[in-house]
Amino acid sequence: MQAVGTHRSRIWGARALFLSPVLLLFFFFFLYPFVFTIATSFTSWRGIGLMKFNGVANYQKLLGDPTFRKALGNNVIWALSQGFIQVPLACLVAMILVRKPKGWRMLRTVYYLPNVISTVALAMVWVAIYNVEGPLNAILSSLFGMEKRNWLGNPDTALFAVIFQTVIYIGYFMIILLASAMNIPRSLYEAAQIDGASTFQQERHITLPMLRGSLITTMTLAMAYGMRHFESTFLMTGGGPAYATTTMGIDLYLRMDALRYSEASTAGVFLIVMGTLVITLLRKIFGSSDPMSEMAQ
Amino acid sequence: MMKKTKLLAVLLMLCLMTGLGAQGQVDSGVQKEVELRWASIWVGNDSKAPAVEALVNEYNAKNAGKIKVVIEPQPDYNAYEQKVRTSLAAGQAPADIFTIKFNPTTATFYQSNLLMDFSKVMSNSWKQTFDAGSLEQSTVDGMLKSLPMETAILPIWYNMDAFAQAGVKALPTTMNEMWAAFDKLKAAGITPASQMTGDTNAWTSMIWFSHFAVSLGGTNVWDKPFTDPAFVEAAKLTKRMITEYSTSDAVGLGAGGSGGHFLAGRTAVFSNGPWYAGRADLAATPFFNSIKIAGLPAAGSTKDFMISRLQANICAASTKDKAKEAAILDFMQYLTSPASIARIAETSGAMFAIKTDYRPVKALQKQFYDVASAAKTTAFDLEAALGAEVTLEFAQQLGALALGRISAEEFCALVDRKIER
Amino acid sequence: MKQRITGVGLVFNSVKWLLLLSLLAVALLPLFWLLVSSLRTNLELQTNPFGWPEKLQWENYAKALSMASLPRLLLNSVVVASCAVILNSAVTAMGAFILARERFKGRDVLYTLLTAGVLVPVISFMVPYFSFITKTGLYNTLFALILVYTAVNIPVSTFLVTAFMKSIPRELEEASVIDGCGFLKRFTVIILPLSRSGLVTAATFCFIYSWNEFLMAMLLTSSIESRTIQLGIKFFSSQFITDYSSMYAAVIITIIPSIIAYIFLHDKIIGGLTAGGVKG
Repeated sequence: MQAVGTHRSRIWGARALFLSPVLLLFFFFFLYPFVFTIATSFTSWRGIGLMKFNGVANYQKLLGDPTFRKALGNNVIWALSQGFIQVPLACLVAMILVRKPKGWRMLRTVYYLPNVISTVALAMVWVAIYNVEGPLNAILSSLFGMEKRNWLGNPDTALFAVIFQTVIYIGYFMIILLASAMNIPRSLYEAAQIDGASTFQQERHITLPMLRGSLITTMTLAMAYGMRHFESTFLMTGGGPAYATTTMGIDLYLRMDALRYSEASTAGVFLIVMGTLVITLLRKIFGSSDPMSEMAQ
Repeated sequence: MMKKTKLLAVLLMLCLMTGLGAQGQVDSGVQKEVELRWASIWVGNDSKAPAVEALVNEYNAKNAGKIKVVIEPQPDYNAYEQKVRTSLAAGQAPADIFTIKFNPTTATFYQSNLLMDFSKVMSNSWKQTFDAGSLEQSTVDGMLKSLPMETAILPIWYNMDAFAQAGVKALPTTMNEMWAAFDKLKAAGITPASQMTGDTNAWTSMIWFSHFAVSLGGTNVWDKPFTDPAFVEAAKLTKRMITEYSTSDAVGLGAGGSGGHFLAGRTAVFSNGPWYAGRADLAATPFFNSIKIAGLPAAGSTKDFMISRLQANICAASTKDKAKEAAILDFMQYLTSPASIARIAETSGAMFAIKTDYRPVKALQKQFYDVASAAKTTAFDLEAALGAEVTLEFAQQLGALALGRISAEEFCALVDRKIER
Repeated sequence: MKQRITGVGLVFNSVKWLLLLSLLAVALLPLFWLLVSSLRTNLELQTNPFGWPEKLQWENYAKALSMASLPRLLLNSVVVASCAVILNSAVTAMGAFILARERFKGRDVLYTLLTAGVLVPVISFMVPYFSFITKTGLYNTLFALILVYTAVNIPVSTFLVTAFMKSIPRELEEASVIDGCGFLKRFTVIILPLSRSGLVTAATFCFIYSWNEFLMAMLLTSSIESRTIQLGIKFFSSQFITDYSSMYAAVIITIIPSIIAYIFLHDKIIGGLTAGGVKG
């Protein structure tokens, strides 16, 4: 084991050894279940008894279902808002914290806290905040004289409201960005300072380019989470009113709830395929997440 | 540091091993004891938990060495339902004994061979202890794969203190009287009714709708297409109730919020099942002793009925092992015996499909029993009658109806599309 | 890095602090609300979610602490979460090393496949997971949960750790090869220490997930010996009635360990490490 030399087969043996645990787990917990999901999506199976092949009927049914189409659209909004609002905000905070302002350690810890609290409790808080007689309306009406709204009960504002509450989770992405921002060699900044670059210029020309890889990583993650979003919206609105806040995750869950397993599988396949498309597109636009090209400079 | 790590590692290993071993220690001893695993939802905070636990302990003591019933506690009902269906879909019974909420969705489980069919093994005398109607409702294509146990009526709750404040002395007996009473409540600054379109079943409003629909279309209304005039009219009445006589947050509100308004005295009329009567926080309200339980005034020609449902049916895993089957039946017969049921009812105030002489002493719970026995007939609520998918569509579109985005006719047509025939 | 204060800098500074403090409020208020709510009665909570307790309800904490088998459930959670973190970190560190630092055919396909797992709504895999766990005889064991939590976190961990490992300058590794470092040494001496902050971040996510996970724990276990603390919390919620205030007291009690674990993982490990940063 000690002398893993340049011998080709030995290298391959070592590689295989290192990769096999991860691949084995992936096979049993992702690949095999995914194949099972695809298989059941072509059947009419209600969770009981034998599966009967019924071709693409589930796919046709879902595409023709206005609820599912609504969920598809909402999912795109979710993915975009998470990737392009949540992550830039998290990045901004990470860029501030990496310069170690007063109390940055405490802030770093506290920003992450909402990720630890139970979703049930948080959903209860947000429902109360958005209530007609809740604090949000009280503030808006006293400050701006705005009319009191039923934020979660109005199909026009409900989706916005459930997306907005995810701002408390930015700590998750901030942690990733901060960890990699802290790995940026200090010498780069020192050199820039000697050249007389302002803080803003340093951020623009050093931090952001160096963070590119991590930004794409976090954006991909954020969009993936946006795509499979389920729990907090389900607890807050149940996907309503009139399916205004439904997502593919909620749709999938409710189909399982109604014992429509093959339809739920179909929704799952749609979700994964659509997510892959969105993420591939992201990589096409922003380049690969492989930051080695920049590092090589 | 190093020592601590080692200690921790040893501790972890120990814990792991006992955890791993948890499965192994099932049967020991010469005479084989039959172990029955019961995935029970009546645990923890549930009001039926203490009596159920005592009954199981007594049963185990009596059958020591022969049968042992092990309760596997199931917290969180939604997650429990998920476990039951996942397990059945994976081709296994979730436990030897478990419960389901019987409705057209869960009736699908009857197609499974994993469930014991009681219709073949039940003695007549055992059958006769059950309410015949509930037993019939639990039978699908001649199969009886779940026994009705807990039932519930879903009446309307009136806060008579609030009514008195508005100058209304008696419960309204006609629809016109009801509208008049509600207008008086509004004038007195009290919102008349808790209504809601949120969650996945629009619980409170779903109960009101069921009362309206059954009165307008008869107790067999759920067999009719949803486009039937009875449903359209019931939809119009429910919409009026939400838009004119409920809180401004009714659209999108969940069951917690709907109940909260009633508990806070912000609304005067509410609807829920008997379990709500046992709540400690309800007992703490100033109007607790002025709550009246009744139906709604008849909106149509059907009168003196009550909305009811099967709340928990009990199932057993089918087995080829004759000894085990006998043990399951023996325990089930013990659990569903009038004596056992009376004891569970006594501590919980819940209602059952098994006939007992028990009558509650607590006033509010007694009202439930009185209302149930006074009703000439019963009819299911929408969820119990039509299942999860139809109820979901009902709840979602009820929001749109209340906001005036669709008409009552469109609403009914949308819900009708989800009914399987 | 020292802040340089200029005229424009002052404006930036106030905007910066406004942002930091409002986010601080957003992050702390729910926790504060939870704390206050855990000291109120259910009636108070349900009728007015934002009030103060009329009388501090310490018995909510008494109820939470008297939860059946609390120590056992806590211990199980610690075991499951720590084992899952250790297993997950080990497995992904090894896998990510190959994916990030070795060049071979099919590497990108493998990487894409593994990381596409972040898109999977695990809830749709419940039936295959249940089958797998019962068929391998792991049902109702702690190991079942450890295995599932380790596996479920593989895509995220691989994604994060690989990205971190990729960002390590190749020259460092090349220099080590010239110095005569073999495959294993490159991994343990060069790559592993340098990607520690990525590994710790992934470990943190894995820990928090394992600590908070509820559905799989419910699905795959049936007795106290192999159940976790999240199931204990849910005992305050029965079919019809949820005792929210006691549940929140239990939530407060159970998030304390996860906050400690988080601070330990993050502040101690990363904090000590990044003092110097990577030498350029």
